[in-house]
Order: sequence, then C-alpha cells, then structure tokens
Amino acid sequence: MAEETKFEPKIVAFLCNWCTYAGADLAGTGRNQYQANVRVIKLPCTGGIDPLFLIKAFERGADGILVSGCHPGDCHYNSGNYHARRRWNVFRPLLEFCGINPERIQFSWISAAEGGKWVETINGVVDTVRALGPFEGYQKINTIGPDASSESSQT
Amino acid sequence: MIEALRKKAEELLRSNTVDVIYGYGEGSTPERTRPVFITKPEDVNKLIWNKYCVYNLTTYLKRQESRKLGKPAIVVKGCDAKTIVVLIKESQIKREDVYILGVTCNGVGEPLATKCKACDVNTPRIYDDLIGEKIENKEIPFDERYAELDEYEKLSEKEKWDFWQKQFAKCIKCYACSSICPLCFCDRCIVDKNQPQWIDPSAHPRGNLSWNVTRAYHLAGRCINCEECQRVCPADIPLNLLNKKLAKETEKNFNYRSGYNIDDELAMATYKEDDNQDFIK
Amino acid sequence: MEKTLKKENFNSLITGLKDQGYRTIAPKKDNNLVTLDEVQSADEIHLDHVQTNNSIKEYFLPKTEKILSYTLEKNKVSIEEPEGFAVKSVVFGSRPCDAASLPIMDKVFNWDCSDKFWVERREAITIVTIACDKCDNYCFCTSVGLAPDSKEGSDVLLTKISDDEYLVETVTEKGEGLIKGLETVFSDPVAGTPDRQVASVEKKFEIDKIKPWLDENFAHKIWAEFSMKCISCGACTFVCPTCHCFDIVDECTMSKGDRVKNWDGCQFKMFTLHTSGHNPRSTQDQRWRQRIMHKFKYYVEKFDNILCVGCGRCSRVCPADMNISEMLEIIATEENQKE
Repeated sequence: MAEETKFEPKIVAFLCNWCTYAGADLAGTGRNQYQANVRVIKLPCTGGIDPLFLIKAFERGADGILVSGCHPGDCHYNSGNYHARRRWNVFRPLLEFCGINPERIQFSWISAAEGGKWVETINGVVDTVRALGPFEGYQKINTIGPDASSESSQT
Repeated sequence: MIEALRKKAEELLRSNTVDVIYGYGEGSTPERTRPVFITKPEDVNKLIWNKYCVYNLTTYLKRQESRKLGKPAIVVKGCDAKTIVVLIKESQIKREDVYILGVTCNGVGEPLATKCKACDVNTPRIYDDLIGEKIENKEIPFDERYAELDEYEKLSEKEKWDFWQKQFAKCIKCYACSSICPLCFCDRCIVDKNQPQWIDPSAHPRGNLSWNVTRAYHLAGRCINCEECQRVCPADIPLNLLNKKLAKETEKNFNYRSGYNIDDELAMATYKEDDNQDFIK
Repeated sequence: MEKTLKKENFNSLITGLKDQGYRTIAPKKDNNLVTLDEVQSADEIHLDHVQTNNSIKEYFLPKTEKILSYTLEKNKVSIEEPEGFAVKSVVFGSRPCDAASLPIMDKVFNWDCSDKFWVERREAITIVTIACDKCDNYCFCTSVGLAPDSKEGSDVLLTKISDDEYLVETVTEKGEGLIKGLETVFSDPVAGTPDRQVASVEKKFEIDKIKPWLDENFAHKIWAEFSMKCISCGACTFVCPTCHCFDIVDECTMSKGDRVKNWDGCQFKMFTLHTSGHNPRSTQDQRWRQRIMHKFKYYVEKFDNILCVGCGRCSRVCPADMNISEMLEIIATEENQKE
C-alpha cells in the first residue's frame, strides 16, 4: 500500500532534435532503462525554446523540467545552443528570484552518442525532483477556485 | 535652465530642424508634471523642468499618434537617453530621426526615486544639445548599484515565492507597465495572442505570474532602469526589482550594461563561446 | 433611523458582523496604498485617506471570475456552474461616490438580461459608507450631481461628527436590518444638530453643458490634442467604479476548461480589433473619445444616468496625467463660448 502513495514527479524534457533526442533514442535502442516519469517534447533546437514553454509546463502540472541540447560547438544550426545558454543564464536566476527552486529546471548538453549520459541525467532529475516533492506552490495557482478572484485580489 | 531649454526648443522649431518637442509641462498638481508636445515656437513657454520630471518621454517614439507629428526633439535625462541607444541598436529608430535635448539631472521624484539613488548618468551619455551645467558622471561599484536587491535575494525560497505571489496577486492586468515601457514596442504583445494562448489574460495568480515573469524576461539585457513600469503600476507592484535582477545577471554574466555604449553588441542577440555554463550538466 | 457610533466600538461592530456570518471589507493600508480588502478586526481599518486605490466594483464585478467549467469525455460534455460566489458581506467605509456607482451599474446588469453574478452579489452585500471628511484636487463628485455625503447606493451612511464619533443614518431596509441586529454597538443620537464633518468639494464644471457639446463634436480636434500623451493602458478603466466592460475567455486543456470573465477596457488597441484586421478605433484619440462619450453621452441616452461618479481615481493613477475633470472643464468652457 505504501507504494501507491509514493510521489511520482511529472518531468517534462525539452530536447533538441539533433543531439539529446537522438541520445535518448540511443538509450532506448541500447535497452538502457531509465525512470518513466519523463515526457519528452522534441524541438528542432534549444535556441528555439522560448522560456514561456517552461512556464507552460509548470502551468500544466510539471514538477520538474529538463532542457537539453547539443554540446557547445555541435549545434546543427551553428549557434542555437549558444543563444539558448545566454537566455538560461538570466532566466534561471529570474525564476529563482521569484521563489522557484532552480533544481526544478535543469539543463544539460547530451550528444547523440551519449545514451548513457541521458539515462544518468534524467534519472538524476527525477530523483532530485522526487526528493523536492510535488511543486505545490505552482499547482495551487493552477486551479481557479469558485471565488478565486476575491481571495486573491488586493491582499 | 528652463530658459535655456525653451530658447533651444524655440530655435529648433523656428529653424525647422524638428517638427515637435516632446517635453515636460505642468501637471494636475504642483507635484506632478505631464508630457507635452510642442509644435509651435510660441508655445515653448509650456516647457518646464523640475524634480517632478520623472517620465521617460522616449516612450512616445513608439506611439503612432506622436510619431505622426513629425521629427521630434526629446527632452531626456541621463537615464532616458540610454533608451535611445537601445532603440537605435534594435533598429527602431535611426540616430538622425531624433534630436536629443539632454538635461543634466541630480535626481527626480519626491521622495527621490529609487532609480536615482545610484545614478551614474547625471549627464546623458548621448545628446545633440546639453541643457544645464555638465555634471561629472560618477563611477559606482557593482554592489552598490544593485544594493536594492540584497534584502530580497537573501530571502528563502518560500519567502521569495510568498512575497512575489502577494505582489502579483495585486496585478489587475491593466498593462500600464508594458504600455509605458519605451522598449516594449511589439505591435502585438504575446499576451494579446491567443492561438495559442501562451499567457492567460486573466488576472488570477497563474496568469499574473506568467505575465509578470514574461514581461520582465523580455526586457532582459535591454531594460535601462528608468523604472517607469514601477512608477505607473496602479497596484504598486515593485516591478523594477525583477528588471534590476535581470540587469544584474546580465552584467555579471556578460559584462553588459544596456544603453551605455552604442558600440556594444546587444547582450541577448549575441553570445560568447566561453559564456558561463556551470549550471549545465 | 438615526444612531451614533463611537470609534471605540468599531471592533465590536466588526466582531458582531463576523458572528452574524458577514465577511467585512474595509479600507486597509498596505505599503503605499489604501485598498478595500477583507479585514478581521477594526485595527486593520484605515480611515485617514481620501480615496481607496481600488474601487468597490471589484466586489461585484471581480477582475477575473470563473463563470463555468466544462469537461469533455468521449462525446459527453458536462458543465459545472460556480456556486458560492455571492459571499454575505459588508463593505464598511467605502466612499459615497463608490456606493453611488452601484445603482448606476444595476441598470446595465439588469438590462437585456439579468446578470446573476452581479445581482446575487448585490443582494448579498450591504454597503456602509463613510462620508468624506477630506478630498483632493482630483475629486469632482459635486460636478456630476453627487456630494461627499450622498446617500445613493448606500444602505447605511456614517458621517463624522467628532474625532471619535459618527452619526449613523440608515438609508435602506437592508441597512436598517443590519443596524437592528447590532443594537448594542450603537448609541442613541446626540441631542441638537450634530456637527457633520463633510469635505467641501469644489464644483469644477456644469454637467448640463457636457452632453450638448458631445452631441455636436464627434470630430473635434481636441480629442487628438488631449489624448496625445495617453499611452493606451487600461489603468483608468480598471480603477473606475463605473467602467464595466469585460471579456470572456476559455482557459482550457484538451479535456477540460474554465470559462472566465475578465475586465477589459476601451483604451486598449485590441479592444475593438476585428478578426479581419480592421480596427474601427485604431488611434488613441478615438479610444479616448469613446471613454468620454460612453460615460457622458451614450449611457445617458440609454439609461438616463451619467456613467461617472467623480471619484477621480482615473486621473490619480494615470501614468501620463490625463485628467478627466480637466477635459470636462474644457468641454464646459467650449460650450459656454458657443453661446
């Protein structure tokens, strides 16, 4: 019975098509198991990941997020991951400043050849977020109560 | 100083150097000023300059109504002048499209606006004419410039979350913050796009968090700290703390300060191969 | 019915209301603002202000509210309507201008259909107003036919008669019921004529001059001149106790969603944007004109009321110092000149 109540975090992973997605695929073909808490969203490039995607993931109930793409220098579009890295450098502290634990949004470089690193990374994210517990703060604001407006207004 | 300003304005209008002066005029109360648009040389006496001239008038560069008046000369303080640098860098205006009437400034607002507390642009860094006696711009150390953030950065994760939830709960989604911002110039804001609806337009906690975070983030590496968003917020949300936090991270990570040097590459439009990545696995 | 209320009895009043199941909303200070907000005790109530930042509207037409939820299962749609939105409450210490906005808005919310959210809240909430003992430059209630001690819309009106005492006048049966239920808190009125401390609000313009001018001057150049500094935000409309435009949106995932009603405002460019891309109010002068016309012409024609109570909030919060009473003064003067 204890297992039923065990918290299983929802993790959303935004992966670049060329490196990390292929890396995760490699882990699959190599029959390397990893925890099934992750929902993968494939995008052409980390450079195209708007930080709003990450906010939306939390709005839809994610407890943790992984953003992963090609190693510096390996970007299929030459510089997409460099631009992404700039954004994360400011977006991450902004969320932290607003009270969101940075451990809930993690970043990695995983190449198409690094199936092992994918398994290790995603397991790490799942374990960390499981230890943090459900993202209650965000889940609380995700539901609008019958009179949420008067509860929340001008307090 | 007012006399010099009026004289210069009159000269610019008479010589047809510009079509309109965006300046400060008397407001509803003695503690308030308001933007005025002077198109006739005989009206230059409506221009004033005092410590209540808090507005950043460069916001009217993005508005179709004022742009229709023709080429402007804008009265700008040192902080406001930084906006023009960014607007030029972001291809919104050309340098020759605007005549900059820089005024030297020792701080505005009563009590003194927080933006003035660590000011290092008492004399604008860019101008066509300088009104008022030149003030030597100070060099202010990094820590002092961002000192306002210290008490908030010290808070625990939960305290931060609670603080901002309380602040964002007050938001009524009037969008005064983005409407006044001279650098929020998108013709259609992301919040007004609904296919898909990235940001809930509702003023509930979820919509307010995503709106306020996104507004601030879109100004990362761009905000020049004129604090207009915070001044106009009818719900008194300390919005500039978010902008300042982003400015601090931009400077710390990329050694970039928005609006200071016209030759610098825009922080968020470029990259360096050795940018910080110690948080990336 | 007339009574008096000592300031020291405020606490027993709030406790008494709580015991009877009322939620109390009163002016409360939070940092730089005084807002109408829920209070638990009289210590939280702040009365040393001219006007609260938010208007009373928020408790009848909230800035955002869910009007229904739906879930989709295979081919079945189930709808759930919200309940319990009309919370039995007393608004204590709102200003007479705010209270006066309610009967004006009743007309529109009971017009072609009755808006249950508005109507049920109106029934559930009792308004105890405190007459203004001070005002500022932005107040202009006397110019729109009201006064700092108007009774319109209030159930009970309190007027300061000394530093620690208020005269209590009941205006409606609902108000009388409220007072009767709390008799021990109130005292009998003092003998003789009480010294009512009421602010004197300067009359700025003749309201009769406004509509005739608006009837004639849809295309006047003043609209563009005056609105040049406007930045098209919605602050004025959102703090206004009589602006009542709203927008309805669905916030949904694949299988479920909420239909939400949010404040909207005529000063936004998006407000009138058509799907085709055409915008009948594409410039700010048209939108500013709409605000004035709606308040002082269209609403008058339709409901025989001015849609403005002279609270001055829009002018206080305006980021660009657009001052509505100044605009109306100009109009009244123009009308004078014509004659």
